[in-house]
Amino acid sequence: MVGPAVAVLFLMTIGPLLFSLVVSFTNLQFSAPQPMRWVGIDNYLTLLLKDSRFLTAMVRTLSYVLAGVVIQSLLGYFIASLLLHVHRFRALVLGPILIPSVISSVVAGWQGRMIFNASYGPLNDLLARIGIKGPAWLAFPQTALVSVLLTDTWQWTPFLALVILAALQSQPQELIEAARLDGAHGWSLFRRITLPLILPVAGIGILLRGVDLFKTFDLVYILTQGGPGNSSETLTFLTYLQGFKFFNPSYASAMSFIQLIVITIVAKSYLGLVTRRGAL
Amino acid sequence: MSKRSLVDLFRWIAILVVLAVLLFPLFWIIASSLKARGEFFTRPPVWVPSNPEWLNYPDSLRRGGLKGLTDSFTIAFCSMAISVLLGAPAAYAIARFQVGKKNLAFWILSIRMFPPIATILPLFVIFRFVGLVDSYAGLVLCYTVFNLPFAIWILKGFIEELPREIEEAAKVDGATRFQIFRNIALPLTAPGLVVVALFTFIFAWNDFAYAVIFSGSNVTPLPVVIAQFAGGHEILWGQISAAAIMAILPALVLATFLQKYLTRGLTMGAVK
Repeated sequence: MVGPAVAVLFLMTIGPLLFSLVVSFTNLQFSAPQPMRWVGIDNYLTLLLKDSRFLTAMVRTLSYVLAGVVIQSLLGYFIASLLLHVHRFRALVLGPILIPSVISSVVAGWQGRMIFNASYGPLNDLLARIGIKGPAWLAFPQTALVSVLLTDTWQWTPFLALVILAALQSQPQELIEAARLDGAHGWSLFRRITLPLILPVAGIGILLRGVDLFKTFDLVYILTQGGPGNSSETLTFLTYLQGFKFFNPSYASAMSFIQLIVITIVAKSYLGLVTRRGAL
Repeated sequence: MSKRSLVDLFRWIAILVVLAVLLFPLFWIIASSLKARGEFFTRPPVWVPSNPEWLNYPDSLRRGGLKGLTDSFTIAFCSMAISVLLGAPAAYAIARFQVGKKNLAFWILSIRMFPPIATILPLFVIFRFVGLVDSYAGLVLCYTVFNLPFAIWILKGFIEELPREIEEAAKVDGATRFQIFRNIALPLTAPGLVVVALFTFIFAWNDFAYAVIFSGSNVTPLPVVIAQFAGGHEILWGQISAAAIMAILPALVLATFLQKYLTRGLTMGAVK
Protein backbone atom coordinates (compact mmCIF):
# COMPACT_ATOMS: atom_id res chain seq x y z
CA MET A 1 0.00 0.00 0.00
CA VAL A 2 2.93 2.32 0.58
CA GLY A 3 4.58 1.26 -2.65
CA PRO A 4 3.14 3.71 -5.20
CA ALA A 5 3.62 6.68 -2.91
CA VAL A 6 7.22 5.80 -2.14
CA ALA A 7 7.98 5.21 -5.81
CA VAL A 8 6.76 8.68 -6.81
CA LEU A 9 8.65 10.35 -3.99
CA PHE A 10 11.83 8.48 -4.70
CA LEU A 11 11.79 9.23 -8.41
CA MET A 12 11.12 12.89 -7.79
CA THR A 13 13.37 13.68 -4.82
CA ILE A 14 16.27 11.34 -4.15
CA GLY A 15 16.87 10.73 -7.86
CA PRO A 16 17.14 14.38 -8.88
CA LEU A 17 19.17 15.21 -5.79
CA LEU A 18 21.75 12.55 -6.56
CA PHE A 19 21.82 13.75 -10.13
CA SER A 20 22.34 17.28 -8.89
CA LEU A 21 25.12 16.18 -6.58
CA VAL A 22 26.94 14.58 -9.51
CA VAL A 23 26.40 17.68 -11.66
CA SER A 24 27.84 19.90 -8.92
CA PHE A 25 31.22 18.18 -9.40
CA THR A 26 31.27 18.92 -13.14
CA ASN A 27 31.46 22.02 -15.28
CA LEU A 28 28.14 21.47 -17.07
CA GLN A 29 26.81 24.63 -18.70
CA PHE A 30 23.75 25.19 -20.86
CA SER A 31 25.14 28.09 -22.86
CA ALA A 32 28.57 26.84 -23.93
CA PRO A 33 28.38 23.44 -25.60
CA GLN A 34 31.75 22.43 -24.14
CA PRO A 35 32.16 18.76 -23.27
CA MET A 36 31.13 18.05 -19.70
CA ARG A 37 34.18 17.56 -17.52
CA TRP A 38 34.71 16.30 -13.99
CA VAL A 39 36.08 19.17 -11.91
CA GLY A 40 35.97 17.71 -8.39
CA ILE A 41 35.23 20.21 -5.66
CA ASP A 42 36.27 23.24 -7.73
CA ASN A 43 32.76 24.71 -7.74
CA TYR A 44 32.55 24.44 -3.97
CA LEU A 45 35.99 25.99 -3.46
CA THR A 46 35.21 28.91 -5.74
CA LEU A 47 31.92 29.53 -3.96
CA LEU A 48 33.30 29.43 -0.45
CA LEU A 49 36.63 31.16 -1.04
CA LYS A 50 36.26 33.51 -3.98
CA ASP A 51 32.64 34.28 -4.76
CA SER A 52 31.95 37.42 -2.75
CA ARG A 53 28.49 37.79 -4.29
CA PHE A 54 27.53 34.37 -2.96
CA LEU A 55 29.04 34.99 0.48
CA THR A 56 27.32 38.36 0.76
CA ALA A 57 24.02 36.73 -0.19
CA MET A 58 24.64 34.10 2.49
CA VAL A 59 25.20 36.70 5.23
CA ARG A 60 22.24 38.73 3.93
CA THR A 61 19.94 35.71 3.93
CA LEU A 62 20.95 34.60 7.41
CA SER A 63 20.40 38.11 8.82
CA TYR A 64 17.07 38.23 7.00
CA VAL A 65 16.04 34.93 8.59
CA LEU A 66 17.13 36.06 12.05
CA ALA A 67 15.35 39.41 11.80
CA GLY A 68 12.22 37.76 10.42
CA VAL A 69 12.07 35.05 13.06
CA VAL A 70 12.56 37.51 15.93
CA ILE A 71 10.06 40.10 14.67
CA GLN A 72 7.42 37.57 13.72
CA SER A 73 7.75 35.62 16.97
CA LEU A 74 7.36 38.77 19.06
CA LEU A 75 4.42 40.04 17.04
CA GLY A 76 2.94 36.55 16.93
CA TYR A 77 3.19 36.24 20.71
CA PHE A 78 1.61 39.66 21.13
CA ILE A 79 -1.35 38.77 18.89
CA ALA A 80 -1.73 35.34 20.48
CA SER A 81 -1.83 36.75 24.00
CA LEU A 82 -4.46 39.26 22.90
CA LEU A 83 -6.61 36.47 21.50
CA LEU A 84 -6.01 34.17 24.46
CA HIS A 85 -8.07 36.33 26.80
CA VAL A 86 -10.87 36.93 24.37
CA HIS A 87 -13.50 34.26 24.38
CA ARG A 88 -16.57 35.73 22.77
CA PHE A 89 -16.20 36.28 19.02
CA ARG A 90 -12.76 34.65 18.97
CA ALA A 91 -13.83 32.26 16.22
CA LEU A 92 -15.11 35.23 14.28
CA VAL A 93 -11.71 36.91 14.41
CA LEU A 94 -9.54 33.86 13.66
CA GLY A 95 -10.75 33.34 10.08
CA PRO A 96 -10.02 36.85 8.83
CA ILE A 97 -6.70 36.97 10.71
CA LEU A 98 -5.47 33.91 8.86
CA ILE A 99 -6.38 35.08 5.36
CA PRO A 100 -2.89 36.46 4.60
CA SER A 101 -1.30 33.07 5.33
CA VAL A 102 -3.43 31.15 2.84
CA ILE A 103 -3.15 33.43 -0.17
CA SER A 104 -0.59 33.07 -2.94
CA SER A 105 2.78 34.72 -2.39
CA VAL A 106 2.46 36.25 -5.83
CA VAL A 107 -0.62 38.11 -4.69
CA ALA A 108 1.19 39.18 -1.52
CA GLY A 109 4.05 40.40 -3.68
CA TRP A 110 1.73 42.23 -6.01
CA GLN A 111 -0.03 44.10 -3.24
CA GLY A 112 3.42 44.91 -1.84
CA ARG A 113 4.29 46.50 -5.17
CA MET A 114 1.22 48.72 -4.89
CA ILE A 115 1.46 49.51 -1.21
CA PHE A 116 5.18 50.33 -1.25
CA ASN A 117 4.88 52.39 -4.42
CA ALA A 118 6.75 55.59 -3.57
CA SER A 119 4.57 58.12 -5.36
CA TYR A 120 1.13 56.55 -5.62
CA GLY A 121 1.09 53.98 -2.81
CA PRO A 122 -1.09 54.21 0.31
CA LEU A 123 1.81 53.65 2.73
CA ASN A 124 3.66 56.84 1.87
CA ASP A 125 0.33 58.65 1.68
CA LEU A 126 -0.43 57.61 5.27
CA LEU A 127 3.08 58.55 6.37
CA ALA A 128 2.75 61.94 4.68
CA ARG A 129 -0.46 62.62 6.59
CA ILE A 130 1.43 62.31 9.87
CA GLY A 131 4.27 64.42 8.51
CA ILE A 132 6.82 61.75 7.58
CA LYS A 133 8.30 61.61 4.12
CA GLY A 134 8.36 57.90 3.26
CA PRO A 135 11.28 56.47 1.28
CA ALA A 136 11.05 54.94 -2.19
CA TRP A 137 10.73 51.56 -0.48
CA LEU A 138 11.53 49.21 -3.33
CA ALA A 139 14.01 51.46 -5.12
CA PHE A 140 16.48 52.08 -2.28
CA PRO A 141 19.16 49.50 -1.43
CA GLN A 142 18.57 50.22 2.27
CA THR A 143 14.83 49.55 2.21
CA ALA A 144 14.31 46.99 -0.58
CA LEU A 145 14.95 43.92 1.56
CA VAL A 146 13.10 45.56 4.47
CA SER A 147 10.04 45.82 2.22
CA VAL A 148 10.35 42.14 1.33
CA LEU A 149 10.58 41.30 5.02
CA LEU A 150 7.58 43.50 5.86
CA THR A 151 5.53 41.72 3.21
CA ASP A 152 6.57 38.32 4.53
CA THR A 153 5.79 39.47 8.08
CA TRP A 154 2.36 40.62 7.00
CA GLN A 155 1.71 37.28 5.37
CA TRP A 156 3.06 34.86 7.98
CA THR A 157 2.77 36.48 11.41
CA PRO A 158 -0.90 35.35 11.64
CA PHE A 159 0.18 31.77 11.13
CA LEU A 160 2.76 32.02 13.90
CA ALA A 161 0.26 33.80 16.15
CA LEU A 162 -2.15 30.90 15.75
CA VAL A 163 0.48 28.30 16.56
CA ILE A 164 1.53 30.26 19.66
CA LEU A 165 -2.14 30.64 20.61
CA ALA A 166 -2.57 26.87 20.39
CA ALA A 167 0.50 26.44 22.60
CA LEU A 168 -0.76 29.00 25.12
CA GLN A 169 -4.17 27.35 25.28
CA SER A 170 -2.69 23.98 26.12
CA GLN A 171 -0.63 25.13 29.09
CA PRO A 172 -2.07 23.92 32.38
CA GLN A 173 -3.76 26.82 34.18
CA GLU A 174 -3.04 25.37 37.65
CA LEU A 175 0.69 25.71 37.06
CA ILE A 176 0.35 29.37 36.15
CA GLU A 177 -1.86 30.00 39.20
CA ALA A 178 0.58 28.19 41.48
CA ALA A 179 3.49 30.23 40.12
CA ARG A 180 1.46 33.43 40.63
CA LEU A 181 0.79 32.50 44.23
CA ASP A 182 4.50 31.90 44.69
CA GLY A 183 5.08 35.48 43.59
CA ALA A 184 6.11 35.01 39.95
CA HIS A 185 5.03 37.96 37.81
CA GLY A 186 5.58 39.50 34.42
CA TRP A 187 8.95 38.62 32.95
CA SER A 188 9.94 35.95 35.45
CA LEU A 189 6.58 34.21 35.07
CA PHE A 190 7.02 34.26 31.30
CA ARG A 191 10.64 33.09 31.33
CA ARG A 192 10.36 30.40 33.98
CA ILE A 193 6.89 29.03 33.34
CA THR A 194 5.18 30.13 30.13
CA LEU A 195 8.17 29.96 27.78
CA PRO A 196 9.26 26.41 28.65
CA LEU A 197 5.62 25.29 28.41
CA ILE A 198 4.89 26.75 25.00
CA LEU A 199 8.30 26.14 23.43
CA PRO A 200 7.77 22.56 22.23
CA VAL A 201 4.80 23.62 20.08
CA ALA A 202 5.66 27.25 19.37
CA GLY A 203 9.20 26.11 18.54
CA ILE A 204 7.95 24.04 15.62
CA GLY A 205 6.05 27.00 14.21
CA ILE A 206 9.15 29.18 14.55
CA LEU A 207 11.28 26.51 12.88
CA LEU A 208 8.91 26.31 9.91
CA ARG A 209 9.05 30.08 9.67
CA GLY A 210 12.87 30.10 9.76
CA VAL A 211 13.06 27.47 7.03
CA ASP A 212 10.61 29.35 4.83
CA LEU A 213 12.38 32.67 5.36
CA PHE A 214 15.61 30.98 4.33
CA LYS A 215 13.90 29.79 1.14
CA THR A 216 12.45 33.22 0.27
CA PHE A 217 12.22 33.39 -3.50
CA ASP A 218 8.75 34.38 -4.67
CA LEU A 219 8.59 37.72 -2.87
CA VAL A 220 12.06 38.72 -4.02
CA TYR A 221 11.17 37.75 -7.57
CA ILE A 222 7.97 39.81 -7.60
CA LEU A 223 9.01 42.76 -5.45
CA THR A 224 12.63 43.54 -6.29
CA GLN A 225 14.22 40.93 -8.59
CA GLY A 226 17.12 41.06 -6.13
CA GLY A 227 17.72 44.76 -6.73
CA PRO A 228 18.49 47.57 -6.66
CA GLY A 229 21.99 46.35 -7.42
CA ASN A 230 22.20 43.10 -5.50
CA SER A 231 20.86 44.64 -2.32
CA SER A 232 17.94 42.24 -1.84
CA GLU A 233 19.41 39.14 -3.43
CA THR A 234 18.70 36.10 -1.26
CA LEU A 235 20.48 32.76 -1.64
CA THR A 236 17.64 31.04 -3.44
CA PHE A 237 17.23 33.95 -5.81
CA LEU A 238 20.96 33.96 -6.59
CA THR A 239 20.82 30.20 -7.20
CA TYR A 240 17.90 30.75 -9.54
CA LEU A 241 19.88 33.41 -11.43
CA GLN A 242 22.92 31.13 -11.73
CA GLY A 243 20.89 28.18 -12.92
CA PHE A 244 18.27 29.76 -15.13
CA LYS A 245 19.57 33.16 -16.16
CA PHE A 246 23.34 32.55 -16.36
CA PHE A 247 22.75 28.93 -17.51
CA ASN A 248 25.27 27.51 -15.12
CA PRO A 249 23.61 24.42 -13.59
CA SER A 250 26.77 22.87 -12.18
CA TYR A 251 27.69 25.98 -10.22
CA ALA A 252 24.09 26.48 -9.11
CA SER A 253 23.89 22.85 -7.97
CA ALA A 254 26.96 23.31 -5.80
CA MET A 255 25.31 26.45 -4.44
CA SER A 256 22.12 24.61 -3.56
CA PHE A 257 24.04 21.87 -1.75
CA ILE A 258 25.85 24.42 0.38
CA GLN A 259 22.41 25.85 1.22
CA LEU A 260 21.13 22.41 2.16
CA ILE A 261 24.07 21.94 4.51
CA VAL A 262 23.68 25.40 6.06
CA ILE A 263 19.94 25.03 6.56
CA THR A 264 20.41 21.59 8.13
CA ILE A 265 23.09 22.85 10.53
CA VAL A 266 21.08 25.92 11.53
CA ALA A 267 17.86 23.90 11.98
CA LYS A 268 19.62 21.18 13.97
CA SER A 269 21.31 23.60 16.34
CA TYR A 270 18.06 25.51 16.74
CA LEU A 271 16.21 22.28 17.58
CA GLY A 272 18.96 21.42 20.06
CA LEU A 273 18.54 24.83 21.69
CA VAL A 274 14.75 24.55 21.86
CA THR A 275 14.68 21.05 23.31
CA ARG A 276 17.27 22.03 25.94
CA ARG A 277 15.29 25.12 26.91
CA GLY A 278 12.07 23.15 26.82
CA ALA A 279 13.46 20.66 29.32
CA LEU A 280 14.27 23.37 31.85
CA MET B 1 -16.28 51.04 34.41
CA SER B 2 -14.40 48.31 36.25
CA LYS B 3 -10.71 47.74 35.70
CA ARG B 4 -11.37 44.41 34.09
CA SER B 5 -13.71 45.64 31.43
CA LEU B 6 -11.33 48.51 30.71
CA VAL B 7 -8.57 45.97 30.00
CA ASP B 8 -10.97 44.07 27.78
CA LEU B 9 -11.79 47.24 25.90
CA PHE B 10 -8.11 47.95 25.19
CA ARG B 11 -7.62 44.35 24.16
CA TRP B 12 -10.42 44.62 21.61
CA ILE B 13 -9.07 47.90 20.30
CA ALA B 14 -5.67 46.23 19.81
CA ILE B 15 -7.29 43.27 18.04
CA LEU B 16 -9.20 45.57 15.72
CA VAL B 17 -5.97 47.44 14.90
CA VAL B 18 -4.25 44.13 14.09
CA LEU B 19 -7.18 43.09 11.91
CA ALA B 20 -7.14 46.42 10.10
CA VAL B 21 -3.42 46.10 9.32
CA LEU B 22 -3.84 42.51 8.12
CA LEU B 23 -6.88 43.18 5.98
CA PHE B 24 -5.89 46.55 4.60
CA PRO B 25 -3.79 45.15 1.70
CA LEU B 26 -6.74 43.00 0.65
CA PHE B 27 -9.00 46.02 0.71
CA TRP B 28 -6.40 47.82 -1.40
CA ILE B 29 -6.35 45.10 -4.07
CA ILE B 30 -10.13 44.98 -4.21
CA ALA B 31 -10.28 48.76 -4.53
CA SER B 32 -7.52 48.68 -7.17
CA SER B 33 -9.31 46.04 -9.18
CA LEU B 34 -12.18 48.51 -9.57
CA LYS B 35 -10.20 51.62 -10.40
CA ALA B 36 -10.10 53.22 -13.82
CA ARG B 37 -6.66 53.75 -15.41
CA GLY B 38 -6.30 57.37 -14.36
CA GLU B 39 -7.06 56.64 -10.74
CA PHE B 40 -3.75 54.86 -10.22
CA PHE B 41 -1.65 57.95 -10.79
CA THR B 42 -3.06 60.58 -8.48
CA ARG B 43 -1.49 62.07 -5.36
CA PRO B 44 -2.85 61.46 -2.83
CA PRO B 45 -4.00 58.06 -4.13
CA VAL B 46 -7.66 57.24 -4.63
CA TRP B 47 -8.78 55.06 -1.71
CA VAL B 48 -12.24 54.17 -2.89
CA PRO B 49 -12.90 54.38 -6.63
CA SER B 50 -15.80 56.74 -7.24
CA ASN B 51 -17.02 54.90 -10.30
CA PRO B 52 -16.22 51.16 -10.12
CA GLU B 53 -14.54 49.95 -13.32
CA TRP B 54 -15.91 46.40 -13.53
CA LEU B 55 -14.39 45.94 -16.98
CA ASN B 56 -11.00 45.19 -15.37
CA TYR B 57 -12.24 41.67 -14.66
CA PRO B 58 -13.31 40.57 -18.15
CA ASP B 59 -10.29 42.40 -19.53
CA SER B 60 -7.86 40.50 -17.33
CA LEU B 61 -9.58 37.24 -18.25
CA ARG B 62 -9.19 38.08 -21.92
CA ARG B 63 -5.49 38.90 -21.57
CA GLY B 64 -4.50 35.47 -20.28
CA GLY B 65 -6.32 35.35 -16.97
CA LEU B 66 -8.83 32.77 -18.17
CA LYS B 67 -6.08 30.48 -19.43
CA GLY B 68 -4.29 31.02 -16.13
CA LEU B 69 -7.39 30.09 -14.16
CA THR B 70 -8.13 26.91 -16.11
CA ASP B 71 -4.44 25.85 -16.15
CA SER B 72 -4.09 26.44 -12.42
CA PHE B 73 -7.31 24.58 -11.77
CA THR B 74 -6.36 21.59 -13.95
CA ILE B 75 -2.92 21.24 -12.38
CA ALA B 76 -4.05 21.78 -8.79
CA PHE B 77 -6.95 19.37 -9.22
CA CYS B 78 -4.79 16.59 -10.70
CA SER B 79 -2.14 16.97 -8.02
CA MET B 80 -4.85 16.89 -5.37
CA ALA B 81 -6.43 13.75 -6.84
CA ILE B 82 -3.13 11.88 -7.07
CA SER B 83 -2.08 12.91 -3.56
CA VAL B 84 -5.34 11.71 -2.04
CA LEU B 85 -5.49 8.48 -4.09
CA LEU B 86 -1.92 7.44 -3.36
CA GLY B 87 -1.76 9.08 0.05
CA ALA B 88 -4.78 7.42 1.68
CA PRO B 89 -3.62 3.77 1.36
CA ALA B 90 -0.07 4.74 2.32
CA ALA B 91 -1.30 6.63 5.36
CA TYR B 92 -3.47 3.70 6.38
CA ALA B 93 -0.59 1.26 6.11
CA ILE B 94 1.67 3.51 8.14
CA ALA B 95 -0.92 4.22 10.82
CA ARG B 96 -2.06 0.63 11.26
CA PHE B 97 0.96 -1.52 10.37
CA GLN B 98 3.76 0.94 11.21
CA VAL B 99 5.37 0.50 7.79
CA GLY B 100 8.37 2.79 7.49
CA LYS B 101 7.10 5.30 10.03
CA LYS B 102 10.55 6.65 10.93
CA ASN B 103 11.60 7.12 7.31
CA LEU B 104 8.38 8.89 6.47
CA ALA B 105 8.84 11.46 9.24
CA PHE B 106 12.36 12.10 8.00
CA TRP B 107 11.16 12.40 4.44
CA ILE B 108 8.41 14.87 5.27
CA LEU B 109 10.78 17.05 7.22
CA SER B 110 13.47 17.07 4.57
CA ILE B 111 11.06 17.89 1.77
CA ARG B 112 9.69 20.71 3.89
CA MET B 113 13.25 21.97 4.52
CA PHE B 114 14.72 21.73 1.03
CA PRO B 115 14.83 24.98 -0.83
CA PRO B 116 12.67 24.15 -3.88
CA ILE B 117 15.48 25.47 -6.05
CA ALA B 118 17.64 22.50 -4.95
CA THR B 119 15.26 20.03 -6.60
CA ILE B 120 14.05 22.35 -9.35
CA LEU B 121 17.48 22.54 -10.96
CA PRO B 122 18.06 18.82 -11.52
CA LEU B 123 14.37 18.30 -12.33
CA PHE B 124 14.63 20.94 -15.00
CA VAL B 125 17.57 19.17 -16.63
CA ILE B 126 15.70 15.85 -16.46
CA PHE B 127 12.36 17.32 -17.58
CA ARG B 128 14.03 18.97 -20.54
CA PHE B 129 15.48 15.63 -21.50
CA VAL B 130 12.14 13.79 -21.33
CA GLY B 131 10.04 16.68 -22.65
CA LEU B 132 8.12 17.51 -19.49
CA VAL B 133 9.01 21.21 -19.39
CA ASP B 134 5.99 23.36 -20.20
CA SER B 135 3.57 20.46 -19.77
CA TYR B 136 0.71 19.83 -17.35
CA ALA B 137 2.16 16.48 -16.31
CA GLY B 138 5.46 18.09 -15.31
CA LEU B 139 3.91 20.57 -12.93
CA VAL B 140 1.47 18.00 -11.52
CA LEU B 141 4.45 15.76 -10.73
CA CYS B 142 6.31 18.62 -9.04
CA TYR B 143 3.41 19.47 -6.76
CA THR B 144 2.74 15.86 -5.96
CA VAL B 145 6.25 15.66 -4.54
CA PHE B 146 5.41 17.98 -1.71
CA ASN B 147 1.67 17.29 -1.57
CA LEU B 148 1.95 13.53 -1.23
CA PRO B 149 4.07 13.41 1.94
CA PHE B 150 1.81 16.11 3.37
CA ALA B 151 -1.29 14.06 2.53
CA ILE B 152 0.18 10.90 4.04
CA TRP B 153 1.24 12.70 7.19
CA ILE B 154 -2.06 14.46 7.86
CA LEU B 155 -4.19 11.41 6.98
CA LYS B 156 -2.04 9.24 9.22
CA GLY B 157 -2.95 11.57 12.09
CA PHE B 158 -6.66 11.29 11.28
CA ILE B 159 -6.56 7.49 10.96
CA GLU B 160 -4.72 7.11 14.26
CA GLU B 161 -7.60 8.94 15.94
CA LEU B 162 -10.12 6.32 14.73
CA PRO B 163 -11.06 3.58 17.19
CA ARG B 164 -9.48 0.30 16.18
CA GLU B 165 -12.36 -1.83 17.47
CA ILE B 166 -14.57 -1.50 14.38
CA GLU B 167 -11.77 -2.61 12.11
CA GLU B 168 -10.94 -5.51 14.38
CA ALA B 169 -14.57 -6.61 14.41
CA ALA B 170 -14.61 -6.57 10.60
CA LYS B 171 -11.43 -8.63 10.58
CA VAL B 172 -13.09 -11.22 12.77
CA ASP B 173 -16.01 -11.26 10.29
CA GLY B 174 -13.57 -12.23 7.56
CA ALA B 175 -13.00 -8.95 5.74
CA THR B 176 -9.68 -8.57 3.91
CA ARG B 177 -7.27 -5.77 4.76
CA PHE B 178 -8.21 -3.90 1.63
CA GLN B 179 -11.95 -4.28 2.30
CA ILE B 180 -11.45 -2.93 5.80
CA PHE B 181 -9.52 0.01 4.42
CA ARG B 182 -12.04 0.77 1.67
CA ASN B 183 -15.33 0.10 3.42
CA ILE B 184 -14.54 1.10 6.98
CA ALA B 185 -11.46 3.24 7.48
CA LEU B 186 -11.86 5.40 4.38
CA PRO B 187 -15.46 6.56 5.00
CA LEU B 188 -14.60 7.30 8.62
CA THR B 189 -11.66 9.48 7.56
CA ALA B 190 -13.88 11.60 5.32
CA PRO B 191 -13.15 14.86 7.21
CA GLY B 192 -9.44 14.14 6.92
CA LEU B 193 -9.79 13.52 3.19
CA VAL B 194 -11.58 16.84 2.75
CA VAL B 195 -8.91 18.69 4.71
CA VAL B 196 -6.13 17.08 2.70
CA ALA B 197 -7.89 17.62 -0.61
CA LEU B 198 -8.40 21.32 0.04
CA PHE B 199 -4.90 21.91 1.36
CA THR B 200 -3.13 20.04 -1.44
CA PHE B 201 -5.26 21.93 -3.93
CA ILE B 202 -4.32 25.28 -2.40
CA PHE B 203 -0.61 24.45 -2.16
CA ALA B 204 -0.50 23.68 -5.87
CA TRP B 205 -2.77 26.61 -6.69
CA ASN B 206 -0.62 29.10 -4.77
CA ASP B 207 2.81 27.91 -5.84
CA PHE B 208 5.03 30.21 -7.82
CA ALA B 209 8.60 28.84 -7.74
CA TYR B 210 7.89 25.64 -9.71
CA ALA B 211 5.30 27.32 -11.88
CA VAL B 212 7.56 30.10 -13.10
CA ILE B 213 10.32 27.69 -14.09
CA PHE B 214 8.36 24.81 -15.57
CA SER B 215 5.75 26.85 -17.40
CA GLY B 216 6.01 28.18 -20.93
CA SER B 217 3.75 29.10 -23.79
CA ASN B 218 1.61 25.95 -23.39
CA VAL B 219 1.02 26.04 -19.67
CA THR B 220 0.63 29.29 -17.76
CA PRO B 221 -0.73 28.96 -14.23
CA LEU B 222 -2.38 32.05 -12.78
CA PRO B 223 0.51 33.18 -10.53
CA VAL B 224 2.80 33.18 -13.57
CA VAL B 225 0.26 35.19 -15.54
CA ILE B 226 0.14 37.74 -12.73
CA ALA B 227 3.94 37.93 -12.55
CA GLN B 228 4.13 38.40 -16.32
CA PHE B 229 1.50 41.14 -16.17
CA ALA B 230 3.46 42.83 -13.40
CA GLY B 231 6.81 42.57 -15.12
CA GLY B 232 5.65 43.90 -18.50
CA HIS B 233 6.53 47.24 -20.03
CA GLU B 234 3.15 48.71 -19.39
CA ILE B 235 1.82 47.71 -15.99
CA LEU B 236 -1.93 47.11 -16.09
CA TRP B 237 -2.68 47.85 -12.45
CA GLY B 238 -6.42 47.28 -12.59
CA GLN B 239 -6.25 44.04 -14.58
CA ILE B 240 -3.50 42.57 -12.39
CA SER B 241 -5.47 43.38 -9.28
CA ALA B 242 -8.54 41.72 -10.78
CA ALA B 243 -6.48 38.60 -11.54
CA ALA B 244 -5.08 38.69 -8.00
CA ILE B 245 -8.60 38.75 -6.56
CA MET B 246 -9.48 35.68 -8.63
CA ALA B 247 -6.30 33.99 -7.43
CA ILE B 248 -7.18 34.39 -3.75
CA LEU B 249 -10.78 33.16 -3.97
CA PRO B 250 -9.99 29.45 -3.32
CA ALA B 251 -7.85 30.47 -0.36
CA LEU B 252 -10.75 32.45 1.07
CA VAL B 253 -12.95 29.38 0.75
CA LEU B 254 -10.33 27.41 2.63
CA ALA B 255 -10.03 29.97 5.40
CA THR B 256 -13.79 30.05 5.83
CA PHE B 257 -14.72 26.39 5.73
CA LEU B 258 -11.64 24.78 7.22
CA GLN B 259 -10.93 27.23 9.98
CA LYS B 260 -10.92 24.44 12.53
CA TYR B 261 -8.21 22.56 10.67
CA LEU B 262 -6.15 25.49 9.38
CA THR B 263 -3.42 25.35 11.99
CA ARG B 264 -3.20 21.61 11.70
CA GLY B 265 -2.66 21.80 7.96
CA LEU B 266 -0.27 24.73 8.03
CA THR B 267 1.95 23.16 10.68
CA MET B 268 2.02 19.77 8.97
CA GLY B 269 -0.09 18.33 11.76
CA ALA B 270 2.29 19.39 14.53
CA VAL B 271 -0.46 21.45 16.16
CA LYS B 272 -3.88 19.86 16.34
